[in-house]
Amino acid sequence: MNEILSVKGLGKSFKNTRVVKNIDFDVHKGEIMAVLGPNGAGKSTTIRSIMGILLPDEGTVTFHNHAQGEVPRHKIGYLPEERGLYKKVKVMDILLYFAELKDYPLDKAKERALAYLKKFDLEGKENVSVDELSKGMGQKVQFIGSIIHEPELLILDEPFSGLDPVSQEVFKQEIKDLAKKGTAILLSSHQMNLVEEMCDRLFLIHRGQKVIYGSMDEVKAQYANFKCTIHGNNDRSLLEKINQVERIEQQDDISILYLSSDVQVNDWIKQLPSTLDIQELSVDRISLHEIFVDIATDSSLAQEAGVVDAK
Amino acid sequence: MRNSWKVAKWEIRRNLKSKSFLISLFLTPIIFAIFATVPTLLSDSGEDQDSEPAQTTVYLNDEIGVWDQLEPMLSEGGDLHWDVELTDESSDEMATTLEDETRSVYIHLDESALQSGTVDYYTSEEVPESFQYEVQLFEQPLRYIQLERTGLDESEIQTAMNPITFNQNEVTMEAGTDAGEAQSQGIEYFLQKFVPGVFAGLVLFSIAITGMMVFQSASEEKKEKVAEIILSSVTAGELMQGKIIGYFVLGILQVTVWIGMAAPVALALVDYPIIEYLLVPELLLFLLIAILGYLMFASIFVGLGATLEDSSSGSNFQGFVFMIPWLPFIFIGPVLTNPEGMLSQVLSYIPFTSPGIMILRLSILDEWPWVQIFISLAILIVSIWLLMKLAGKIFRIGILIYGKNATLPEIWKWLRS
Repeated sequence: MNEILSVKGLGKSFKNTRVVKNIDFDVHKGEIMAVLGPNGAGKSTTIRSIMGILLPDEGTVTFHNHAQGEVPRHKIGYLPEERGLYKKVKVMDILLYFAELKDYPLDKAKERALAYLKKFDLEGKENVSVDELSKGMGQKVQFIGSIIHEPELLILDEPFSGLDPVSQEVFKQEIKDLAKKGTAILLSSHQMNLVEEMCDRLFLIHRGQKVIYGSMDEVKAQYANFKCTIHGNNDRSLLEKINQVERIEQQDDISILYLSSDVQVNDWIKQLPSTLDIQELSVDRISLHEIFVDIATDSSLAQEAGVVDAK
Repeated sequence: MRNSWKVAKWEIRRNLKSKSFLISLFLTPIIFAIFATVPTLLSDSGEDQDSEPAQTTVYLNDEIGVWDQLEPMLSEGGDLHWDVELTDESSDEMATTLEDETRSVYIHLDESALQSGTVDYYTSEEVPESFQYEVQLFEQPLRYIQLERTGLDESEIQTAMNPITFNQNEVTMEAGTDAGEAQSQGIEYFLQKFVPGVFAGLVLFSIAITGMMVFQSASEEKKEKVAEIILSSVTAGELMQGKIIGYFVLGILQVTVWIGMAAPVALALVDYPIIEYLLVPELLLFLLIAILGYLMFASIFVGLGATLEDSSSGSNFQGFVFMIPWLPFIFIGPVLTNPEGMLSQVLSYIPFTSPGIMILRLSILDEWPWVQIFISLAILIVSIWLLMKLAGKIFRIGILIYGKNATLPEIWKWLRS
């Protein structure tokens, strides 16, 4: 695939604390690449380093198609985590200003702005002052501002934070559409459920370091083992005797058995002991969300499984 | 640089479209005019009301015949609000009249007054204090008569009557006797000398105010969290430069509008060729100083703005920085009294005070101390360069810190980083 952006060995310290270190990943044309991690993991620092807003202490950021060391600002769309708009200006004025800063032709920008305003249900708002917009409307305008100049790389830092579910869907759809049209998209989020359905590849970062990096399918195959949830009054010692169980979590009458990766679900169910008290039983895969929570709370799951590297 | 211009253009456009800027642009000179003229108008009208009925009635018992000489002069002059009534009555007889009246005076000019050189006059209530000067009018004709009596002839009397005046002639290196000449030219000379300086002072004042707008703009950028979006297109340095340039243009625009409004009025009211006085080579130096002053204040303010999200909650430190442009005002008195003194020279070398003080000094000094001017300009330019660098550092980090105002130790850390 066509690489647009490569990050190699990125590291940054504030005062004496290492905020990120040894960050390596690529973003390809037409894909959605997600940087995931809990708050304070170093997502925004990584993104700001890519944008040249922070200077990394070590490592390189390469924009392919452009000279080494140069940030092709006009080709990047950027929606920062902390974002806002000038208050007492008209919507169209500020969108055109963003386009002008990117050297994008203004007549074309105007056309695109009107089209997107319509798409985002903001038709007729172009001459409204920004301070009259609701928060959700404002976020839509910011989003339009970040893509008004048809960027080849779109960097979105927590694009879904503070959005209502309807707007989340609108954004998700638009991001997918942009990727389909060939835009490389790098987004960061801590909302796994949203990202799980849309991203092609992910980079999970915790305490400034890589934890998981790979395509969604690979990560799922690698980490998303089966788990079996049993409702019923069972003794832990009984559960421990069951084959291919890696870990057991028990709370009141609910026991969750984490199964090993090579398990055959049909066979495994058949060999369950008949003494087991089963009021309810379900078998499903571990979600990205659970992997994430495990990592964020430093549970052993990911460490046990080891780190996959699937470039 | 191109990006800086884009930012500058945006700041200019944004302000020109904002109602508050336009209102202050046009309202400020009007308010100034009101403050400048209303007190005068009020006091004028006050006098008008008083002066019409406020004639002082002067009962003159003139036994010598001085009044015949004075009367034609008085009717020409017109400054004197006297209502002269000739009378033969003595002071005792007049006493009752004066008791009943207000603003009345009784003057008795007789032989004994002439000989003793003392003229008694009696006043009623409410006679203005200025009357004691007005009454001196009688001195000359009385003196003339006195001298005439001693038997001097016309020319001798003239010599005796001529006051002896002392003319100061300051001898300076080049000016020679120009000083005396210049002084005799009075207000014309005064205008010629001060107009360029006053103009530069106005420019400095106006752009120092727009310098404060740079502060607001940087602080707003932080509060409204737009900075990071902008920084994805331009560098922090370009954003800062753009703001400084943008508000500079706005400042100049402001001065132009103000002068555009004031000039026709001034030209109509004043008879002197002010434009001619203004457009002299000295003006260039004055303007250079004013512009340097702006650059210095703007760089201080843009850095300061990036440390403050909410200008009302600034610490004492930031409050103090705000006072910097007004520092020269404290020293106006001492510098005016001694423009060549030690204090004036030292203040010219301190970058924070030098623009204001230099403009003030150069306006009053007859001869410009070029060495001092050059040293002062050099210090100013170096400080601007330094301050811009420091402001750039503060701006770069400060503008991206959200939700809090920076403290002094933090700012110090950024400066050292």
